[in-house]
Amino acid sequence: MFNTVRPLIAFLALTLVAPVAAQQKPSAGKPAAGKSPTIDIPFEQYTLPNGLRVILSQDRSVPRVAVNVWYHVGSKNEEKGRTGFAHLFEHVMFTGSGNIPYGVHDQLTNGVGGSNNGTTDNDRTLYFETVPSNYLETALWLESDRMGFLLEALDIDKLNAQRDIVKNERRQRIDNQPYGRVGEILSAATYPPGHPYSWSVIGSMEDLSAASEEDVKNFFRLYYAPNNAILTIVGDFDPAQTKGWIEKYFGGIPRGKPIERPKIEPVTLAAEKRLLFEDAVPTPRLYIQWPTVGRRNADQFALSVLASVLTGGRTARLTKALVYDKQAAANIGAFQSTSEDVGEFEISVTPRPGHALAAIEQEIDAILEKLKAEGPTEQELQLATASQELNFVAGLQSHLGKSMQLADGAGYHNDPGYYRKAYEARRAVTTEDVKRVANKYLTKGRVVLSVVPKGKPELASKPEASTKVGGAGEVK
Amino acid sequence: MRRHMWSIVVFLLTLPVAAPLAQQSFDRTRPPTPGKTPELRVPKWTTGKLSNGAMLIVAERRDLPLVSFSITFLGGSNQFEKPDKLGVAAFTTSMLREGTRTRSAEQLALDLQLLGTSVGASVGSESGSLSFLSTTEKFGPTLEILGDMLLNSTFPDAALERLRGQRLVQLAQQNAQPGVIGSRVFSRVLYGQAHPFGQYTTEATVKAVTRDDVVAFHKDYFEPGRAIVTVVGDIDLPTARAAIEKTLSGWTAGGSKPSFAYPPLPEQRATTIYLVDKPGAAQSVVNIGLPGPPRSTPDYMPLQVMNFILGGHFQSRLNANIREEKGYSYGVNSWFAYGKGPGPFTANGDIVTEKTAEALQEFMKELRGIHGERPITDEEMQTARDSLIQRLPGQFESVQGIGSAITTLYVNDLPADYYQTYAKAVSAVTKEDVLRMAKKYIPLDRLNIVIVGDRKTIEAPLKGTGIAPIVLLDEHGNPSK
Repeated sequence: MFNTVRPLIAFLALTLVAPVAAQQKPSAGKPAAGKSPTIDIPFEQYTLPNGLRVILSQDRSVPRVAVNVWYHVGSKNEEKGRTGFAHLFEHVMFTGSGNIPYGVHDQLTNGVGGSNNGTTDNDRTLYFETVPSNYLETALWLESDRMGFLLEALDIDKLNAQRDIVKNERRQRIDNQPYGRVGEILSAATYPPGHPYSWSVIGSMEDLSAASEEDVKNFFRLYYAPNNAILTIVGDFDPAQTKGWIEKYFGGIPRGKPIERPKIEPVTLAAEKRLLFEDAVPTPRLYIQWPTVGRRNADQFALSVLASVLTGGRTARLTKALVYDKQAAANIGAFQSTSEDVGEFEISVTPRPGHALAAIEQEIDAILEKLKAEGPTEQELQLATASQELNFVAGLQSHLGKSMQLADGAGYHNDPGYYRKAYEARRAVTTEDVKRVANKYLTKGRVVLSVVPKGKPELASKPEASTKVGGAGEVK
Repeated sequence: MRRHMWSIVVFLLTLPVAAPLAQQSFDRTRPPTPGKTPELRVPKWTTGKLSNGAMLIVAERRDLPLVSFSITFLGGSNQFEKPDKLGVAAFTTSMLREGTRTRSAEQLALDLQLLGTSVGASVGSESGSLSFLSTTEKFGPTLEILGDMLLNSTFPDAALERLRGQRLVQLAQQNAQPGVIGSRVFSRVLYGQAHPFGQYTTEATVKAVTRDDVVAFHKDYFEPGRAIVTVVGDIDLPTARAAIEKTLSGWTAGGSKPSFAYPPLPEQRATTIYLVDKPGAAQSVVNIGLPGPPRSTPDYMPLQVMNFILGGHFQSRLNANIREEKGYSYGVNSWFAYGKGPGPFTANGDIVTEKTAEALQEFMKELRGIHGERPITDEEMQTARDSLIQRLPGQFESVQGIGSAITTLYVNDLPADYYQTYAKAVSAVTKEDVLRMAKKYIPLDRLNIVIVGDRKTIEAPLKGTGIAPIVLLDEHGNPSK
């Protein structure tokens, strides 16, 4: 069922259409500039004629190497009725490819002391291995084969097997977890129907069942082409030798069709949406979500600082008031979630027994209004950014972590060194910036979701003004 | 082979027109021959004693301005908590953040946050730790705060009550998680209520803890006589020692290593399915196992190889069959929880409700397989050896990783050249060893199979498998109707 051997014909056909001039065009390694010498991931980058972007960063601290292939495709590229597709595909990528039978990928990564995995979000799909440095060529062979020859080994049986596993993943992470469906309820409420960010990455059970073999193949042909991918290698390797291998294994994979990227704009909500979800949960929780901005908008940094000012530490405004002073909440968290095109600011709170969601919501609103009126103090700002340096430097210890930073920068901002700009931009946020974004985004146009134990709708915040959600099949 | 191909590629790169030939010059179906295995570079470290008797370990690593600091205490909740006060260790570590003689709780939090770091404090079942990671520049000030927390905490009553309220909410939420229920009932079934391994924190024990208990735990537990201080990173031994002696001068000698003696295990019963009803559950949480050996067992290496093959990696027998081939789960694995005591062997997976019985049959098939029904292949042995040996350098990637790799040698009384001799020890394991391990440590007639799931759907099919009789338990592991 799994072991499929690549037909020779297809291989030869492919080499005939390979670009004639396969020589790489190395562009100068971009020397990083900036103040702190430790905020630095040295790298060089170039692009193969078939469009594959390559980023190399040497780090010989341990004799291992991380290989990361970043494809610019995620759940937002799916169509309504076919949700969950990008992530299902991530699973398919581990089922063997034209020249490499199922199982070999794990054998030559996990089985030699390395590790592998993949991850999908709204915007991109990532495949990565960390292997002993003597297996770098092997990892490139594995990644190039599934980029160039996956469909030759794909059939409906394989697809169905992975579909079952993904459904189990959904059950384990979402359906069998208290509060597990909150994410998809909030997305569906924040974005209009049909908006590319309105459905969850894992998709619905119905849509997963509906995907056909042909759907999957078309998806692959368009998005899993070298011109839609970034290959990042970080760790213990010889650059000249590695460039040779990259050319050998990836150079002949033909460029795919140009990809049209519909412009997706952030949304706003005209009015407050109040929702009530009865679930198998032990205690109620309240979620408030505002649509904000994505990666292209610099307000993301002030919003991230705002989240720290609200719940990033014991003296943060919401934490201090609700968890410590009033002791109305067991925990509270705020964060800005930044996707490529859109973003959300979310506050979630678990009350302590005897404290109603409505009263907590009122308290949160009062604190937000005060912050909107006066802005944060200089010290609050200092507290919000104080851990940045340590977090960054600690992250430099991980080959894989560095590869992800470089690839995200290249993929989203056309600059592998974007991490430094983001680092500086967050540190440059002013009290005035935080005040401004709080006023601009934390408005009445928001989603307020009460999750309550089954049969206890009265525990919701303003149940009479809330719409019940979460019936089977309702949230797609 | 690799050299040969490499020279072709270099040649072609200089002659771009000929590049397509490169695509024809090699066979994509053949895996590249890996280069020479990189030499194992085990970090060097120095050990010593602090004036208060605590052990000191320092390992230099200078490539980044980072220092990892930890104090590891031998013994944990199993040794230091009374059964009716379970949770006192967690309260005590939380209370270390509630203020000192010179710092209010808020001041403490602010001072740490401004240093950009946090101090971790936790007590596990057989060891505990206080730790932080800082930039080199912030090492001294952060150590000063850790010392203040360790030595001068005031344990205010009001904070304990607030923490108790938070802990009760957390417990209620955990009680709703099938995975938590599964592992709790599994421990209870294996070890019984009288054994520390079978006990867990409940609402009643959380409510029973007083401030006096916390103060007493703090006084008894955080003693240098059972402590290992580990410093790794951008710092040398004299600097580390001087900073610690000065900053922790009030941490005076006392305490000793606990005995780690455990009560005898309850009599192990014939293989039984213990079913905990979770009406409407989308998945069944399956845990199969029994008490296992301590880390000190001479069987450690062969056990590691055996478990790797059975359920220790993605293409292990259990995961390859139940997840990949059958599609019953998102992931199935197995492990031995080695420690000072008889930690369990566990084979675990979350199984789609409708396939619970079928999956259990596959679990049993693989367990019979590792007993000899499905002989171990040379390839399986090779993969286990390569993987276990070659993953070792990954432990030395970060200063925190290096710290824990070194500390664990002393916690577990392992030789200082453990990592240098590791490859040899793994390579010495034979197929016969693996078979012997399976028979010795996974007796098929004495397994505990704990399943948390939708009884109405899964009970009859489970009975139909004829694998074992079914006993119904509630979510605390007590008999149920």
